[in-house]
Amino acid sequence: MKKILTIVLIALLAISFVVAQPQEEQTSLENESDETSLSEELIDKRPDQIIVYAQVPEEWKFPCLWAWSKDGQNAFENWPGNQMIKDDNNPGWYYLYVPGFVDSVIVNANDGSIQTSDYTVEGKNSWITISNPETVSVSFDPLTGNTLPEYFQLYSVFAKVDSSWQNPNIWAWENETGKNAFKTWPGREMKKNSDGFYSMQIPVWCDSIIINANVGQIQTSDLKDIDPSSVWLTISKDATVEITYNDPTAIIVPDIKVYAKVPSTWDSPCLWAWSHPDGTNAFANWPGQPLEMNENNWYESDAPGWINSVIINGNEGSIQTSDIRVESGKDIYITVNGPDSVEFSYK
Amino acid sequence: MKLKHLSLVLFLVIATILSLSCSKQKDDNNPITITIWHDKEDVVVDVIKQALEPLSPDIIVNFERKASLAETLKLVGNNPKTAPDMYLYAHDKIGVYAEMGILEPITNLVNPDTIKNLVPMTKTAATYKGNMYQLPIYFETLLFLYNKKYLKAEEVPSTTDDLLTYVKNKTKYGHFGYIEQHSTPYYFGPWINGFNGKVIDEKGEPCLDSKESLEALAYHLKFVKYMPDESEYATVNTLFIEGKAHTTIGGPWLIPTIKNAGIDLGIANMPVINQTGKPLTPYLGVQGFQVLKTGVQDPSKKQAIIKILEILSSEEVEIKLALASGCAPALESCYSDESIKKDEMVMAMKTTAENAVPMPNIPEMDVMWTVTGNLLTAVNMSGQDIETSAKQAQEKALNLIENMK
Repeated sequence: MKKILTIVLIALLAISFVVAQPQEEQTSLENESDETSLSEELIDKRPDQIIVYAQVPEEWKFPCLWAWSKDGQNAFENWPGNQMIKDDNNPGWYYLYVPGFVDSVIVNANDGSIQTSDYTVEGKNSWITISNPETVSVSFDPLTGNTLPEYFQLYSVFAKVDSSWQNPNIWAWENETGKNAFKTWPGREMKKNSDGFYSMQIPVWCDSIIINANVGQIQTSDLKDIDPSSVWLTISKDATVEITYNDPTAIIVPDIKVYAKVPSTWDSPCLWAWSHPDGTNAFANWPGQPLEMNENNWYESDAPGWINSVIINGNEGSIQTSDIRVESGKDIYITVNGPDSVEFSYK
Repeated sequence: MKLKHLSLVLFLVIATILSLSCSKQKDDNNPITITIWHDKEDVVVDVIKQALEPLSPDIIVNFERKASLAETLKLVGNNPKTAPDMYLYAHDKIGVYAEMGILEPITNLVNPDTIKNLVPMTKTAATYKGNMYQLPIYFETLLFLYNKKYLKAEEVPSTTDDLLTYVKNKTKYGHFGYIEQHSTPYYFGPWINGFNGKVIDEKGEPCLDSKESLEALAYHLKFVKYMPDESEYATVNTLFIEGKAHTTIGGPWLIPTIKNAGIDLGIANMPVINQTGKPLTPYLGVQGFQVLKTGVQDPSKKQAIIKILEILSSEEVEIKLALASGCAPALESCYSDESIKKDEMVMAMKTTAENAVPMPNIPEMDVMWTVTGNLLTAVNMSGQDIETSAKQAQEKALNLIENMK
């Protein structure tokens, strides 16, 4: 009888243990889910974008804003960040709209050569007063009046001017409505860059521009029907203008060489190359570019420098390697032992 | 009483023997391996792999991406050692392979209710000489795409004459009002179909020098003059992705890259051709599974393929595949699903497809792609006379088709 009682007790204990397990797991899941929803709620409360204002010393030219989140997400691609916009209604103040995820900012100027320390804005509209790099105050109460400037996207206008054109400015407007981007002529002073172009960002609704210089004494004609996209202007002494949307300073990625050794049974080997994952092909039709034998007994072919995936094939494309992922911009040496056996290097 | 006990014992013995023999049989069986060739993006294949996972370990499905699928299949399609069991591809090669005798009619492998539930035009596309050779999964057409940075929805040209005016005004300084792969036959499809022309008719007769074809070539050329000389895939797509073209005609395969590039993409109805009152009418491509005869020779493999097709033709999988590929599902019932109804691109695809022309699937079409491509190159890129070039292309096509026979 004692034996039976012991067995029953052990069984009951085991059952209660098994039943207790999922309950504990559930409790812990509930806690986790509570935490998740709480943090999601906090993130949701943030606005899509915030405005960051900065009042900078007079010697700080063309101030820029660098902004990032606690988890390391940057608002802009490259230092020194995006140029701030001069607020014509509040002299001495510059502003920029940044994504709501931004927690910290640095204000800098003079091509990033002068800057503040990191300041916390925590996803809130902020007004930063800078007396010098070490004397900075941050206010979350508006210091420029209660009306915030309208938000709009910007695009860059680059201008290379004749040497007789001093301190060029940009004047911009929307042709259909006559709405101006800036309060007074001659508009906004353009910033000189190291590549010889002056630049300034203007609102995307501006489709017409004038570049002027020498305090507005010389100017181009009205340049109308401009797309809201980075545009480069080359302006001669007589104010004639060449316009292009193709960056004349862009570095062209040079072609690469692809070298291959293939099994003797692979006739007329060809190179098929493309960019992964977007699928842009380097050659129009399969099997691709024929490879030619060079004096070192390697087949070779040129390919665009932007490709990052290749296939070597033979026998009019009826036999092939699998996809070979490679680094863009580097010459490649591929040894094909068979469809499923490939070795490659960059030397 | 004794009898009752005896029958119970007998039942237990038989059940045990049966159970042992069954489990032994399973142990002895090797898994069945099915090979599927495809030319699809990873996102699409991942959905299929996931859907077929429950078949493992009894059925193992191997996927092989073949850049040269169509050509390779011609060489190895009837060789059981090298051919795949199935392939996922567009419908337009069905005629070639059916004539080669390498395809199994899909109706032998799929539930008739599934076939009934297919969007009718997908069935037409999948059928050659009265036999259906493909299980349609999703379909695609070209769409009229625009960059919202340059045009608002209400500014998108509604007719081709308006589009031409827009192109003339906006093509300057390295930007283009409209671009397309102007000398690729697939992209010429919307123009020739919109002019009521055809590359080839149902009887396999080329129609490249017809009145409609000549009109389409001449009108299309007015647009080509405002496009870049290079018209291959890379150039055209890069221009749109880099924001250097306001509008284009592109397929769903392009959409993820466009969106990743930060382009504010708009999808609009195809402009209506003023001369015919018909919209630009692209080809319809139906993507689906074809089964090779070599794949169903072995009864156990055949059963495995039937199971695979049953899973892949389910509403749930087709919806996932449509959303992953940005194409429209082939099953009619998928369109009552909320996720499909909410997807702007899938629904635009369905609307455009209502006017689209299925790519011809007859074997003669196989030679027409090249001949039409050469005609477009002659007219658009070498400035040759339209009528002369079209006549030469027509003769060339007739010769090639004769040689095929």
